[in-house]
Order: sequence, then C-alpha cells, then structure tokens
Amino acid sequence: MKVDDAKSSNTTLPKLLLHNAQLYRDRVAMRTKYKGIWREISWQGYANRVAQFCWGLMELGMKKGDHASILGENCPEWVFADLAIQSLGGVSVGVYPTNSVEQVRYILDHSRSKVVVVKDQEQADKVLAAKADLPELQAIVVIDMKGLAHYEDPLLISYKDVEKKGAEVLAQQPEAFSEIAEATQPDDVAFIVYTSGTTGPPKGAMISHRNIIHQVITTLQPVLHFTDQDSLLSYLPLCHIFERNLSMAMPLVFGYVVNFAESIDTVQENIREISPTFFAAVPRILEKLHSSVQIKLQNSTPLKRLGFRFGEWVGKKIVPYKMKRISLPLRLRPLYGLAYLVSFRPVREKLGLLRCRCIMSGGAPIAPEVLAFFRQLGITTIEMYGLTETSGGCTGPLHEIKHGSVGQPSTGLEFKLADDGEILFKGDSVFSGYYRDDAATAEILRDGWLHTGDVGKLDDDGHLYIVDRKKDIIITSGGKNISPSEIENKLKCSPYIKEAIIVGDGRKFVTSLIQIDYDNVGNWAQNNKVAFTTYKSLATNPIIYRLIEDEVQAVNAGLAQVEKIKKFKILEKELDQDDEELTATQKVKRKVIAKRFQKEIEEMYRSA
Amino acid sequence: MAVLNDNQAYHLEVDHLTMGFGGVVALQDVSLKVRQGEIYSIIGPNGAGKTTLFNCISGIYRPQAGSIRFRGRELIGVKPHKISQSGIARAFQNIALFQGMTVLENLMAARGHLQKYGLLTAAVFLGRCKKEEALSRDRVEDIIELLDLQRVRHMPVGALPYGLQKRVELGRALAMDPQIILVDEPVSGMNLEEREDMARYLLDIHESMSLTVMIIEHDMGLVMDLSDTVTVLNFGIKIAEGKPGDIYANPEVITAYLGQA
Repeated sequence: MKVDDAKSSNTTLPKLLLHNAQLYRDRVAMRTKYKGIWREISWQGYANRVAQFCWGLMELGMKKGDHASILGENCPEWVFADLAIQSLGGVSVGVYPTNSVEQVRYILDHSRSKVVVVKDQEQADKVLAAKADLPELQAIVVIDMKGLAHYEDPLLISYKDVEKKGAEVLAQQPEAFSEIAEATQPDDVAFIVYTSGTTGPPKGAMISHRNIIHQVITTLQPVLHFTDQDSLLSYLPLCHIFERNLSMAMPLVFGYVVNFAESIDTVQENIREISPTFFAAVPRILEKLHSSVQIKLQNSTPLKRLGFRFGEWVGKKIVPYKMKRISLPLRLRPLYGLAYLVSFRPVREKLGLLRCRCIMSGGAPIAPEVLAFFRQLGITTIEMYGLTETSGGCTGPLHEIKHGSVGQPSTGLEFKLADDGEILFKGDSVFSGYYRDDAATAEILRDGWLHTGDVGKLDDDGHLYIVDRKKDIIITSGGKNISPSEIENKLKCSPYIKEAIIVGDGRKFVTSLIQIDYDNVGNWAQNNKVAFTTYKSLATNPIIYRLIEDEVQAVNAGLAQVEKIKKFKILEKELDQDDEELTATQKVKRKVIAKRFQKEIEEMYRSA
Repeated sequence: MAVLNDNQAYHLEVDHLTMGFGGVVALQDVSLKVRQGEIYSIIGPNGAGKTTLFNCISGIYRPQAGSIRFRGRELIGVKPHKISQSGIARAFQNIALFQGMTVLENLMAARGHLQKYGLLTAAVFLGRCKKEEALSRDRVEDIIELLDLQRVRHMPVGALPYGLQKRVELGRALAMDPQIILVDEPVSGMNLEEREDMARYLLDIHESMSLTVMIIEHDMGLVMDLSDTVTVLNFGIKIAEGKPGDIYANPEVITAYLGQA
C-alpha cells in the first residue's frame, strides 16, 4: 500500500515518517549505543523527536524555504534534525565532519544556512571560527554540550533546549506537526548534498522528495531487496547521498532498523555486535577488511592458514553459481558445508558479517579481486554505480552478477551511451540542479539528459562496465587510451599499497606514484627485521622499494604492454585531506597531486 | 580556568609540613592552601619532594610535623583507605591498575568502597546489589565517555599502549567519585599528541565534574596552560607560589628549576 503510494510519487519523506509512526508504533526504528548499552528508539519515538525538534527550530525563527546545515558524525539526532528541517518546508544541508574551517565556511555561506546543527565541541569550534563571515547564521545548535559549558557565544544553544522548546508548544497543540508535515510537497527540495569536489569547489546538488523516493523504489530496491527484517550499521558520512539513502530515506519506505556506531573508532566492534544483514561500504573499507584478513592470516597458525586456503579453493568453485544466482550442484554441497565450518563461518564472524546477506560497494571504483574475496566467503557482493546527481544509484545487478560490472541500468531511468561512450541518464531520480550555480547545472543537464562524465560500455546482456572518468582517461604520446583507475585499483589490491596514482598523459610510458600502507608495510618490516621509525623512513628504505617493486611487477603481468608501469615512486609523505590532496570521501585529487609531486614525476621521466 | 576569589573556602590545607627519611629532609615546613574547584600544580626538579607531598596527603607516609586538613578535618594518622573513602583519589605516576582485568573491570573495581551490599545479596545479584551495580556502571560509563575509552572498554589493560593506560589510570581515580584528585605526572613519557589529549581531558574533568585537581608535572607548558595556582618546591622547601605568569617571572624559580640563562 505504502509502496504504491510512493510509486505514484505523491508522498514526501516527512509524510512517510508519520505513516511509519502509525504503522509500526513501538517497533524498533533505530538503535544507538549509549553508555555501553544499545538503546532502542521506536518509530513513535522517532516521529515525536522529529516533531519536537522541528517545532523548536520554528521557535528559533526558521520558516518554510529556509536552509539549515548539519555538521557532525552519524547519530540519531542527525537524522532527527534532517527530517525536522524538511518537515517545516526547509532544506537541510549535510557537511562532512572532516571538513576544515575553510570548507565549513564555504558551505555554510554558499548554502545560506540560517541554523547549523553541530555534533560536538570540535565542530562547534569550526563554526565559531567561521562565524564572522556568516551574517545569515542565527543559531548554532549543539547536540553534545561536553566541553562547552564555558562558551558564552549568544548563538550557541543545546539540542535538548531546542527540543524542549518545541515539546512545550506541541503539548498545547498535538496535531500541529502532522499538519505542517502533510503540507510538504513532492517537488520541494528536501536537501542539498555538496559533492566532495575532486575538481574545484564543492557544488550543492538539490534533491527533491520526488527524486529521492523515486530513487529508493525504482533503482535501489530492485537490487537490494530490503524488508523490515533487515538491520544495518550507519557509519559512512550521512551527508553523502549513499548513507543518506540507507540511513534516512530507505528505512522510511521499508521500515528496517538503523544502528548507529558508537564512535568512529568502534565501527569494527559495533559491526560484530550488531552483525548487520546488509553492509554497504566504500572501496577503501572493503580493501581494509580484505588486507586485515591477509595480514592476520600471516600471523596465525599453519592449521588455520590451511583451513583458509581450503575455503578459498572451495570458494572459487562456488562463486560462479552464486553470481548467476543458481543453486549449487549436488557434488559441491558437502564441500561448501565443510568450507563453511572451517573457514567461511569463523572469518565472517571475525569480520562481523555472519548474518550479512549482501555487501554493496559504491562511491568509487573497486578492484574486482577485493569483491572476489568476499564472494569466496559465500556473501553476495555487488557493485552499484551512481552519482549524487541521480540521488544515489543508477545501475545495479538485477539478477545475475558479473565480475567487474556495475550491473544493469535502473529500469526506473532512461539510459543511453553517447557516441563517445559517456553514460547518460534521464528520469525522476535526476536531481533538480545545483544550488546557485546555473552554469554548472546547464553543463551537466543537457536536453534533459544528465551527463555523468563517466565512460562506460555495455555487454550483450545489458550489463554496464565503467571504464573511467571521461576527463581522467590517459592518452599516451603513442596515442593509446588507458584507464588509470583500472590500473590503480589493481595496485591497491596489494595490502602494502594504500594509494596509487597513475601518470602518463601525453607521455611515452606509464608511471605511478605510490603511497604505501603504513600499518601493513610496518608489520612486514617488523616481521622481516627491517628497522624503521616513521612513514618517511619506511618510504625511503630500498628494501621496501623492492617489496613494492615485486607488487608492481605482479600487477604488470596482468596488463597490456602499453599499460605496464615502467617506473614508480614511493611518496615520502602520506596523502591527507588537510593538505587538500584527498576529498572528504578520501578520493585522490589528481590535479593537486600532479602539481604537488611534479618534481617526482619529472624525475621518473627524465632518467628514462 | 575557574574564577577564584579569596573568600572561597579552602578545600585542602597543608600547614608547616615536615617529612624526613633518616637524615634526608624531603619536605621542610611546607604550607599550601588549595581552593575548592581549582587546578593546583606542584612543580620542582627531581627530588624536590613533590611525590612525597602527595604520599603524605594520601596517608602513605606519616609526616614528623605539621598538619593536613581536608574540609577542616585532620588527615594525619588516618589510614590511606579511609582517606580515599573521604574523597581524595589519586592517579599514580607508575600506573596502579590490574593488568589482567579489562578497562571496564578496573573502573568498576575502583568503586568497591562505595558498594554497601553484602556477600549474600551479591551471590544472588538481587535487590541492593543489582541497584548499586547498575548505578556504578552508569557512573563508569560516564567516565568512559569523558575519556573516550569506548573502543578499549573490553580490552585487558596490560594489552594497551602506555598513553592509554595512563588515561585508564586517571579514569580509575575518577571512578571513586572523589572531591579532590591528585594526579602524579599525567603526561610523563608521552608524545606531543598524547600530551595535548591529556591536557584536554584534565580540563574536561575539571569542568564537567567540578573537581579540585592537584597536579605534579615536569612539563612546564602544560602546567602554565592549565593551572590556576602553581607552587614550586626545591629540595623540600617551597620557594614560590602564585599564578602561572608570576611563577614564570620569579627569578628564584628560574634559578632553581628552569636553569640560569
């Protein structure tokens, strides 16, 4: 019933919240770890707290059409604030908690935020530092007041106080909230997502209620198959469209439980405690899990290693069946059962993936080898492709999963490949435009088609393969087209390589800058009695150079002649978001890096 | 830093304290007054008698002369466990934790003196026992949050790095629900980042739990940034007392401690 309503696109996120509060009432909507114990929040409680905060914001002077930002790590209050802002007809803007003062200032200013909701002292300090340049800012609402008792800024107010203000008014007129929430319209802008900006300053993509609900129902659900029995851990940044969908919008449609990690440090333990049925991750996290298993294996007993190798061997046999989603032939079943007992089960338990029915990777390209690792553990592992500008996903495997493919284009969107291979989409999920940037909007939305800027190719069954960012494709001086991210991801499969940047545009051959993984290489160095003190001493050690050289050669073996990495250089410093080398989602900024490490790059080509 | 006025009650008063070991005089006629809610630091070169002073306050040593009064009550002659029960907790320089127990267990154990239930109720875990244990856990979780120990809650203390153990040691002292906390060299052996973190935790504790904090420390930067009042000891004699800025300017202190320029 509800899904049909949504399909007819006459609903909005606040309306869905009211609906769920009535339908599910005391059922668990969220869990959050407080004082070491998982506390539950019911759907009714969820709606009440949104209502109170919403009214509190109006008491602070927010009106329909006003903008408000949210800055901080994931917590239930983040989602309450998000929906509260939307309920009063406002537009909510998420800001990455890892952003610097400068970036926070830019987004608060550009989005014309009247109110900003911050998680804690750390984030409040950033806003206070930027405050002088933000004339429109009227209040800074702080969720966790720890350490702020002696601050005397008149703009500061605690989240609880705002909530209390709202509760007082709502106690008088209990129907008031549902009246305003019902007044929200599908074509209202619900929130603005600032793209992480690998090029230039971030752009604010405006997402309407219609965009996001259409996205959830026609693109994500046919691939992910959520029910109200699912549960997942919310730990990726909520201001990113990917986690916004999973933690905020999708539960409003399907009624599953969202669990909030206790802190960023505890994600690993929290996953084990919750054992989510669905695990969404960006490549970096899956790469990390993958390499952590490899490293732990090196330090474990021979018997355990044998068990793991056996599991790997069986895994390779069963993967083709699992990916086609057909049942295993009888002869493989006992093997699978045995491998499950000696390898899959213990490994999955250690990773917290015991109950996990599906792992989804998105946000950036991932090496097929990493996906293969999870598939060999018997977990359905899929890759989806999407953009902020399409409100999330736009492709995913509907039935069969193919190695290296991001699945079929969503049936809810029109899709075509341009003559130069660029991927184009059209449909209700496509965003409403960039906020205060008509030029950029006109550039990406031409003739109603969203130009993704990615180049892809289709196979005979209609599965899409992403080649690379259009502007990142390297043309060597010999005129060959090379996709750098494909080679980079192969390199990043090595547990010793954290980041790789392929260089070669207009050059005679391909080279690479490599950042070693400090933990794993450090571990290797310890085991091999190589003395080191810091990242730099590891990075400049010739023995480590040889270790990386072997890894590069192994990758080269699988590459075409023109793609082979002839030379590489280990970076003497770690790439950092603070130095503007990485985006908030930890993607490398090629231009910045090419400029900053120009000397190193020139050296590689000069000595040729 | 807390706003101080001279009328405020003294929380802890040390009067003409003298303590010697055989021929060595560790403290000679030392007097100091600590106000309620201030951060009071004691600095001085090695062997100046700083830790001896803490040992006298917490009842481990019995001084030969003088008096120590806590909220007006004499402490000299009182047994150390009675002193800690009366509200003076101490975080030791050389970490005094149960290495084999988890962080949570260590913090819970620190509250042993506050539990009033008997062996029988504990055996069935009902009534008073259950209530008190729940209350204790609640307090301990506050401290875990304050000191950001969530990640290591269930890890044995012995397996933690040194900087974290120091933080747990501080947490153990806090778990006793004290009124004064004596912190002995909280940042010794730590790197810059750990020092900055520890300074922030000390300020947080002082602010959110409104405790009186007494610190012994060698790190002048930390002392000058945190303290309301600083006392300088040299060979058992108090040579200066005052606000951090005054201490920096005091020529006697510069000679004795900071070195002659």
